[in-house]
Amino acid sequence: MITEIAPAPRKAAAEPVGTRTGRRSWDEVPRWQIYVPLTVYLLFTLVPFYWILLFALRPAGSTSLVPWPMTFEHFEKVWTERSFGTYFTNSVYVGLATLVLTTVVALAGGYALARFDFRLKRGFMLALLCSQFVPGALLLVPLFQIFAKLSMINSLGSVVIAETVFQLPLSMILISGFIRNVPYSLEEAAWVDGCNRLTAFRIVVLPLLRPGLVAVGSFAFVHAWNHFLFALMFLSDQGKQTIPVGLDTLMSADSVDLGALAAGGIIAALPVVIVFAFIQKWLITGFSAGAVKG
Amino acid sequence: MTSSIRIRIRRSRRAALAVALGSVLALTATACGDDGSGGAGDKGNEGSGKGTITFWDNNGGVRTDVWKQIIADFQNKYPDIKVDYVGVPAASVQSKYDTAIQGGGLPDVGGVGTAMLAEVAAQGALEPLDDRISGSPLNGKLNATFLEGVKAAGGDGRTYTVPTSANNGTLWYRTDLFRAAELDPPTTWTNFYKAAGRLTDKGRNAFGYTIRGGEGSIAQALDAMYGQSGITSFWNGDETTVNDPKNVAALEKYVGLYKKDTPSADVNNDFTKMVAQWDSGTIGMLSHNLGSYADHQKALKGRFRGVPNPTLDDGTRVQVSNPVDGLALFRSSKNKAAAWKFIEFAASHASNSRWNRNAGQVPANTEAVRDAWVQSSEPTKLAAEALNGSSTKIVQLPYYLPDWNTISKSDNEPNFQKVLLGKLSAKEFLDTLADQLNAAQADWKKNRR
Repeated sequence: MITEIAPAPRKAAAEPVGTRTGRRSWDEVPRWQIYVPLTVYLLFTLVPFYWILLFALRPAGSTSLVPWPMTFEHFEKVWTERSFGTYFTNSVYVGLATLVLTTVVALAGGYALARFDFRLKRGFMLALLCSQFVPGALLLVPLFQIFAKLSMINSLGSVVIAETVFQLPLSMILISGFIRNVPYSLEEAAWVDGCNRLTAFRIVVLPLLRPGLVAVGSFAFVHAWNHFLFALMFLSDQGKQTIPVGLDTLMSADSVDLGALAAGGIIAALPVVIVFAFIQKWLITGFSAGAVKG
Repeated sequence: MTSSIRIRIRRSRRAALAVALGSVLALTATACGDDGSGGAGDKGNEGSGKGTITFWDNNGGVRTDVWKQIIADFQNKYPDIKVDYVGVPAASVQSKYDTAIQGGGLPDVGGVGTAMLAEVAAQGALEPLDDRISGSPLNGKLNATFLEGVKAAGGDGRTYTVPTSANNGTLWYRTDLFRAAELDPPTTWTNFYKAAGRLTDKGRNAFGYTIRGGEGSIAQALDAMYGQSGITSFWNGDETTVNDPKNVAALEKYVGLYKKDTPSADVNNDFTKMVAQWDSGTIGMLSHNLGSYADHQKALKGRFRGVPNPTLDDGTRVQVSNPVDGLALFRSSKNKAAAWKFIEFAASHASNSRWNRNAGQVPANTEAVRDAWVQSSEPTKLAAEALNGSSTKIVQLPYYLPDWNTISKSDNEPNFQKVLLGKLSAKEFLDTLADQLNAAQADWKKNRR
């Protein structure tokens, strides 16, 4: 089989300077016109983060605009006294378990949607899309009752299942888009070589889905990491709470320890920032690949 | 059947078996959790007075340590009873109760403040405590005003919580700034307005006052309004007094401070922003409650004082009621005897004193309020005196109305912002508020019958 490859687009630099369209080349634009707006935007984005860092690193009661003398007392306080060490571990568990479960189930469901035609397939896709319009709070009581019947209240498993259920529709739709982009002929070739469907999927399709898996997995992880409602409602034991609930406990009805809150916020944000720093390359590839065919 | 197909079928059977086994193991592993029983319809029972009870703290996190000490003392005294502590964040406690009332999983004992008491009690989740209190060592040792507030907030004349503490509106002021400007303390409204004007110097980013324009603005505005108008009752028959001409005039004067003597960003002030701004800036006065004492102490130690709501020039102090915190016994409890023992212990002299000392609030136990720490903590002492003093008139806010939270928050906080911004007059705002309150009161009376 011959696959036609479209010619690569010419680089913008090939366009002559000062064309009749009036567009200027990149080199012609004064640097300040690029850097000033970018700096303003960056300041606008980063100042709140600086504020959080400031509160987290300066001593309680200080009004200094620089975190000096620097102290880690707030981090120590939230990590030990306010049990953020435990909350962090629980959040990691919930995040990773949701990631694995969502990815595995979304792969299976997405494959079925991409490769098989079955009755009510369009209706099923529509139902998946519609489920995105239902807020989690609306299903809180039924979910609570279901988990209660299964004796799963106050177990991290309940949060993992609830998060997975809410992540699955979007993840399945995304994964099915990625799978459709993988030529079916590749799988057929693997079958000819003696693989069954599962082996062909594992050996041939799965490696090509890496950007998509990273996109879906990271979304599932970040969503589960940040989600507050299910952890608050389904977990009661202090030792099973997650980071977002822990952050909320730093604000009482009429008093807020801003230093501790800022330190807690940094602890909560750090894993998400690290995850995105490592996966951003795949994430962008993943979303653009999934966007070709939905 | 070819051998490859047979292998495939065997593999798929193995996979199905593995999934089934995995599910069973997962469900077994999680089977040690709470079964979530105990919704509002469950009548519960007295139980043996031993075993495990669950306690939900409605201000979890900040008060966790002191509760754990009290629980440890309780378990020492009653070794047959174990208390499972659950700290629920203050901002989310109402949703947690509502979900548990509908779905099950209510605790045996829970902290319920008067601001949410009506809603929880109306759903039939709480046990009336009048008989238990009258037969308890606590009888006669609980602040009568607090008890009255709790009873009123329950909505049907019954007592649903044992009061443990009360907060009180406090006007915090910077003693260093007042001294430098040679101003008298803002103990009267006249002094308050004079100081607000004198301490404002916008060029230096100094302001006389910070007003609450965001979340929680209504209660503060009502406090300032009734405090100045001197009207001592929220109701005149079945009509509210909020839009009385005297209150309208008082509110106009109060909101007139906005931008003139306050930062313009105050229109979005919730208590967090307001307190942070006061603690780190140059602002003369702040109206909040006793709860922010610890934050001020960290930032402004030795440079601030707190006084109750200012008085009229004749010395009369009028203030609105503040939520009274209390412990409720849940109707669905399977061990009410043990749960009640815990409530009695937590509201006793020693425990109540310890808790309130930690929180900086006014103890409900009349023996605890006489303890040395109350006398040496000026804001708490003044608040206790104001709450118990004969010269203070307390306007009871209608916490018993199931719609009170909606009316005083989501319905009218945006309107108050419009008043600050000059887009709505004080009279229009108060007339709308009055219409909603009158309708809610009529509805409540109709349904009560």
